[in-house]
Amino acid sequence: MKKGMKNLLLSTGSLTVFLLLWWICTDILEIVSPRTLPSPLKVFTTFIDKLTNKNPDGGTLIMHTLSSLRIALLGYGMGIFFGIPLGILMAWYSIVDLFVRPLFDLLKPIPGVAWVPLMIILFGIGLLSKATVIFISAIVPCVLNAYTGIKQTKDVHIWVAKTLGATNTQMLFKIAIPTSLPYIMTGMRVALGQAWVTIVAAELLASTIGLGFMIQQSRGMYRPDIIIVGMLTIGFLGSFLTYLLGLLEKAVVKGWHT
Amino acid sequence: MIVNKRVQSSAAAAVSIFMFLLIWHLATRFSELGNILPSPIEVLTAFFVGFVVPVGTHTMFVHIVWSLSRVIPFYILGSAVGIVLGITMGWYPKAEAVFRPIFEIIRPIPPLAWIPISIVWFGIGEGSKWFLIFLAAFITVTMNVYTGAKVVDPVIVRCARMLGANERQIFTTIVLPSSVPFIFAGLQVGLSSSWATVVAAEMIRSSEGVGWIIISSLDVNDTVQTLIGIVGIGTVGYVLAIIIRGIESKLCKWNKRGI
Repeated sequence: MKKGMKNLLLSTGSLTVFLLLWWICTDILEIVSPRTLPSPLKVFTTFIDKLTNKNPDGGTLIMHTLSSLRIALLGYGMGIFFGIPLGILMAWYSIVDLFVRPLFDLLKPIPGVAWVPLMIILFGIGLLSKATVIFISAIVPCVLNAYTGIKQTKDVHIWVAKTLGATNTQMLFKIAIPTSLPYIMTGMRVALGQAWVTIVAAELLASTIGLGFMIQQSRGMYRPDIIIVGMLTIGFLGSFLTYLLGLLEKAVVKGWHT
Repeated sequence: MIVNKRVQSSAAAAVSIFMFLLIWHLATRFSELGNILPSPIEVLTAFFVGFVVPVGTHTMFVHIVWSLSRVIPFYILGSAVGIVLGITMGWYPKAEAVFRPIFEIIRPIPPLAWIPISIVWFGIGEGSKWFLIFLAAFITVTMNVYTGAKVVDPVIVRCARMLGANERQIFTTIVLPSSVPFIFAGLQVGLSSSWATVVAAEMIRSSEGVGWIIISSLDVNDTVQTLIGIVGIGTVGYVLAIIIRGIESKLCKWNKRGI
């Protein structure tokens, strides 16, 4: 208990020192120009101001956030919807594996960002092109993890089911899919991270709204305070979404943990 | 039997890739899609021709070398710092208490979101790209190594302590070896993350490299160039993944992982 308190003190201490050093370097001693690194106070006031202020990039922080979230979740949802069943099919039916696997292996090493220009040519810079890029980057971890999960099914369980006369479909739904659930949840978590990274990258390259667009515009306008607000928002939302998914994971795979 | 299986799976792979290319070819040949998307034959020819005839300013090979020369040194540096910080944070509770809160602020911010601020800090030249790659490798490696040092089996540690091992011995003979698989997992994810980052950074601003191939194709509306860029990025990413997996299977044979 005492040790825990001591570590907590150390943690708060280190954060305070970090913020203090930042503050002293910027506001007090003015070693760093506010055009490069604004003070922590400035970042905070900008954050409050940006919640309601549309200047200078044409949207409040909330508008940008909602736009990014909407597209990211749309692409992510499609990735889950197609990716998990595809992974399960590939692992359960070897014929699907034989024919789909090579195509999937071709797609896998290409990072999501690399697709952005092609999708812009095909679908313009709107919602569809970004959602497609996110779909591509979210589907990969979903397929991989669902595949690995199904492959973890224990032979003994299959033998028991066979002895008791279960059909192939019954074995898939009663044994293989429950076995794979923890892996599927991991895949969903990785895919969420991927989707969130990709939306920011896509908005950096071509967009008219969104958090990535906001930080890219602020660079052009020499507003590092807005850039930092944007980065912290992106980081915070990323962790928050992962946290929500963690809650879901706990509810779904209760009792499946070995 | 095993040989048979191999033949069967390569045959299926050949058929499915051929079918994919055929459908793509027919779709571009006989439909509206042909106006915006080139056929696979054009793309593959252009890809191989690109190794002899310059794409834009350099040949494919020079572009790839440029991108790799940005990635490799700073990937190694970022990984080295990440391994040290990860193990220190995972094993020493005091170090964890000091560094964890600051690291937790940085960790969830994707490396690509650092692009604008890194341009403000380091300009649009090489400096900002180096910083981004360092960050991409550093964050993933630190996270993985930290987890690895955290999950060291306490029974083994207590055992060693009972048998009279000192702290340094516990660290070098138990904590370090049992983190090795996690270090490699981190190195692998970190490498693909660094590769994705250099591509994005080159798309924002550069005059050579694989990201440049793709982004400059937008200006001249040349989809063949976009696609050879994607093929190049995918190929290099694939080769890098194979190399690091090869090193891993050489260095820790006892630890076999799935795909």
